[in-house]
Amino acid sequence: MEFVGIAAGKVVSTSAVFLILTMVGLAVARRISTCVLLFSMQSVIITAQVAATAYLENSREAWVVAGLVFAFKVLGIPYAFFWLVERLKSPRDVKASTTPAQSVFVVVVMVFISYAAVRSYAFGIRVPEDALAAAVALILTGAFLMVSRKKALMQMLGLLVLENGIFLAALTTTFGMPLVIEMGVLFDVVVGLLLMGIFTFRIRDTFDHLDVSRLRRLRG
Amino acid sequence: MTMALGAAQVLILILGAPLARGIIARIKAWFQRRQGASIWRPYAELGKLFQKEDLAPPTSSLIFILAPRVMFAAALAVAAFVPVLQPFALFGSVGDFVLMVYLLALGRFFLALGALDGGGAFGGMGASRDALISTLAEAPLLLALAAVSISARSASITGIVGWTLRQNFFEISAVHILAFAALGMVALAESGRMPVDNPTTHLELTMIHEAMTLEYSGPSLALLEWAGAVKLNIMLALLISLFGPWGMAGSLAPAALGIALGAYLLKMLVLMALLAVIESSMAKLRMYRVPDFLGVAAALSVLAVFFTMIAKR
Amino acid sequence: MMVLDMTFWSFLALLGAIVPLLQLGGRSRFVRALSVLLLLAGSLAGLVVAGVCFWQNVPATLRLPSVAAFPISLTVDRLSAFFLFLICSVCLPVCIFSTSYVTHHYATEKARWMWALLSLFILSMIVVVTASTGLAFLVGWELMTIVSAGLILIEGDSEERIHDVYIYLLMMHAGAAAVVAAFFLYWPYAHGLEFDAIRSASVNLPAGMRTAIFLLAFVGFSTKAGIIPFHLWLPRAHPIAPSPVSALMSGVMLKTAIYGLVRFGFDFLHGGPRWSGYLVLAAGAVSGLLGVLYAIAEHDLKRLLAYHSVENIGIIYLGLGSSLLFLANGAPHWANLALIAALLHTLNHAFFKSLLFLGAGAISHSTHTLDLEELGGLLGRMPITGAAFLVGCCSIVGLPVFNGFISEWLTFRGFLYGSNLTNTAAQVALPLMMGVLALIGGLAAACFIKVYGVAFLGRPRSTEAENAAEAPLYMRLGMVLLALACILLGVFPLTVLSPLASLAQILVPGSTAPGEIYFISRVIPWVALTLLGALVVMRAVWRRQRVAAIWACGLPGLTSRMQYTSTAFSKPLRSVFVSVYKPDRTVSRLPTEQPYFANSISYRSQRTTSFEKFLYRPVVDAIVAAARQVGRLQTGNIQVYLLYIFLTLVSLLVCLRFLR
Repeated sequence: MEFVGIAAGKVVSTSAVFLILTMVGLAVARRISTCVLLFSMQSVIITAQVAATAYLENSREAWVVAGLVFAFKVLGIPYAFFWLVERLKSPRDVKASTTPAQSVFVVVVMVFISYAAVRSYAFGIRVPEDALAAAVALILTGAFLMVSRKKALMQMLGLLVLENGIFLAALTTTFGMPLVIEMGVLFDVVVGLLLMGIFTFRIRDTFDHLDVSRLRRLRG
Repeated sequence: MTMALGAAQVLILILGAPLARGIIARIKAWFQRRQGASIWRPYAELGKLFQKEDLAPPTSSLIFILAPRVMFAAALAVAAFVPVLQPFALFGSVGDFVLMVYLLALGRFFLALGALDGGGAFGGMGASRDALISTLAEAPLLLALAAVSISARSASITGIVGWTLRQNFFEISAVHILAFAALGMVALAESGRMPVDNPTTHLELTMIHEAMTLEYSGPSLALLEWAGAVKLNIMLALLISLFGPWGMAGSLAPAALGIALGAYLLKMLVLMALLAVIESSMAKLRMYRVPDFLGVAAALSVLAVFFTMIAKR
Repeated sequence: MMVLDMTFWSFLALLGAIVPLLQLGGRSRFVRALSVLLLLAGSLAGLVVAGVCFWQNVPATLRLPSVAAFPISLTVDRLSAFFLFLICSVCLPVCIFSTSYVTHHYATEKARWMWALLSLFILSMIVVVTASTGLAFLVGWELMTIVSAGLILIEGDSEERIHDVYIYLLMMHAGAAAVVAAFFLYWPYAHGLEFDAIRSASVNLPAGMRTAIFLLAFVGFSTKAGIIPFHLWLPRAHPIAPSPVSALMSGVMLKTAIYGLVRFGFDFLHGGPRWSGYLVLAAGAVSGLLGVLYAIAEHDLKRLLAYHSVENIGIIYLGLGSSLLFLANGAPHWANLALIAALLHTLNHAFFKSLLFLGAGAISHSTHTLDLEELGGLLGRMPITGAAFLVGCCSIVGLPVFNGFISEWLTFRGFLYGSNLTNTAAQVALPLMMGVLALIGGLAAACFIKVYGVAFLGRPRSTEAENAAEAPLYMRLGMVLLALACILLGVFPLTVLSPLASLAQILVPGSTAPGEIYFISRVIPWVALTLLGALVVMRAVWRRQRVAAIWACGLPGLTSRMQYTSTAFSKPLRSVFVSVYKPDRTVSRLPTEQPYFANSISYRSQRTTSFEKFLYRPVVDAIVAAARQVGRLQTGNIQVYLLYIFLTLVSLLVCLRFLR
């Protein structure tokens, strides 16, 4: 069992790098399906982290949370997305307003900023700096995706990435939240997603496309 | 004895290069449910080319003849930098990674000049495209190597390998993951493999490396092909020795060397299988997508360098 | 000692008086030929003096009568000796080249002026680097600007040329003003302009004054060096000068600015303000990248080379900047290494850039054009020039076993050691600069593949290129000498590196000679031997080649116009970096009413760099507007002028009353 312990510790300490890799991937991805896949992988990493925390802290609630995260974020939401993409029959492109190279460098700068921001803070309350910085970087990346991608679907995805970041930040600073709150947050996300999904259908039906930059016409 | 082993490593890299090509082709064939040619076929092809006569364009100059030779000589010199069986290489302890990268550049420079010397349209096309790719690949290549070198506190390749060898396998650091990703992408671009350049294409509008070698024939072409194979082999061996050297011989005992050889071949096979998967599953990128591909590599290498600073505290 | 001083003295006299006088006053051809010989002999003597001073570390001093309160004297200390060596070792081959160039290109009258001004130009640069008082420095500085402007005008004085020279003079004087200000700010502290006094006054200079002096020196010398955004004059002035003069201007004159910066930044100020390293690094990175990017887009050979000067000065600044940064962070050992790298690159650039400019001169001599699109296939027609030019190309790209590589390698090494600093910003910034330098190197390689491939390889693109003949003997000799220097320094760098290490130890107190210089000097001969050995072995498969037609998709009639041109070659890179160029493209079709059935289509693409648009235009506009306002004082009415006099008198009296 010693080996499992080492592995769990490694998961906690190296997951930040893999999260950063998924962020870079999100920045360059040109297809919505790739982005969804990357989001799913990101969630796998976070699940692993929750599970590792659960093992190390020996808490049963955390195991439940890990299961929930796996069920919703790794399987459920990506599946819903794929279904949505299929049904909407919209082009696969994410319609980025920045070139991939620019997006990557924005993400890199965000990683720099998050490390710089977290550094002084993490010293004080002795939380793993890498994980917290990765969480902040996830929040920033999610926000950046929402800003720079024109497809409505990508805005939903950006929100999900952002939520992943918030979840990770909560996980690393509190070493696992109470189960009720976790479930509430997850429920929130699912309901939000549902609403946005309905809206995308409405947008598509009214305007025949999903490009939110063209919603400007609503200004009147 | 160590010197002899160093020389043997160079020979492995040089003489084994066509074999690596053959194996990759075979694995690809297997993926594509084809029979595939023998893994020794590249040797037969080289032998055939060495037998043939050498053709030169009417307006070509000495550069045209010189280019393949310089390219091969540079590849040979670079091969002397890379440890294979033991954390030692002929130039590995005295030369550093900057020298190695610039020796690669020397070969490329002359290859492009040779291509332009043909006096046709294709040579210029290939040289121009290759210039784009190699220009943008140089920065991530150097930065990724620099990141690894900073964490190992040594600038020579063997120093880095020796340091990595002493680390615990489970102590994979952020720097190494990022640098590996960056270096892997650059290796694909440098050796002209799939998402960047299709080594098997002869379609005039898409070829890059093949366009540069279009006017060459006979022994010159053989040298170019061989040098290209050596470059791929070097890139793979470099990835192995920098990021997964475990299994290398610590002593000169025959048993240790045998284990090292086995481990090397196994790791090589894994990388080649990976390459075959990539090549079978991905389409070639449009040329103006390649800067994005290399931009990602550059971003990863910048992050790797940045993480060396974080890891140090 | 005496012999040395005397030699130096006579060398200066030769340059300053005898050669120009003989040229301008001499009536017979013999006298003029003699003076050219004297110039060559003088350069050789100067080379010997510089060599002895640099390698043996013997200082030479020359006291001159002082002008009013200002003493003027020249001293060759180790730093001066290095730059003196640089000047003389480039001037000798350039003068040899010029003997052929001048006889083929100029009538007697112009030839006289050319030689007279050339020797004065060399003299002025020597005065700049050996001056040991501020006044001597400034006199040399000014002379250098004016004489070089005269040299540019030798080949004609068309409207356009005068405009370019005007910009050159204007910017040089703006820069000189900053240098003068930097010197005179020392006055209250040093009570004079002697370098010794300045040096001792620098120790307890107020912090604000230190910063001001450093900034003024930085701006002044950067203008001379052609650092972006002060580079505007460089791509204008260098291409229009006669080729030997461009070689001197680019190879040597720019280096006097490096000398000035090292003198101020290291010798006087010992590093300047703490952030000085970041400033110099940033300037170097921007100049290096933009310089090479602008160069790639050019197809006029000399303009392209001029932009490469901007790039290489950028690389030198990268070395200087990292050295300053190490100095500010208390790491003298690595500061020493980076400084050696910068100084070596200064020397290397002098060699290969003057070689390349001389090559351009030889090309224009044989083909009467410098447009790359008109050249091609020159290697077969001008083998010696082609071989020398290839050496220059390999050196400037920084390929191993050529000299450019050694200095770039040392710069890389300096950056790598930046990771050992404790300051976080420097710790990240310096290693990341490796990426910038690698990108610069890669772009330079692409650019010189283009230059050499389009100009010397393939088939000729014009009848001029087809009928080109090899350059005359002395032109070839000049180029071959420089090419040999490039190879020698590339394979045996220690000859220059070990005295440079001693020089760096003087400039960076408390440091020792870095081990890297011995390291690289040990490795490079082995690498060269390996490459050479491999080539010799491969001689075995060097079969006689049969000439055969090239692949033309199975169609006949392949012409030289189907080759890739210089513009075509650089297209991929230009479209990747399009945000740097921002070209204005216009396509017009005639007749306009039938765009699909046009008789003629004309395409025009023009680049104005953002600097001209956003930096210089507003400044110029503001100055013109201010001048217009001032101009309103000039009414032409005599009573108004009397009023001015009257007002001046009154205000002076009032001042007198209050100042007492």
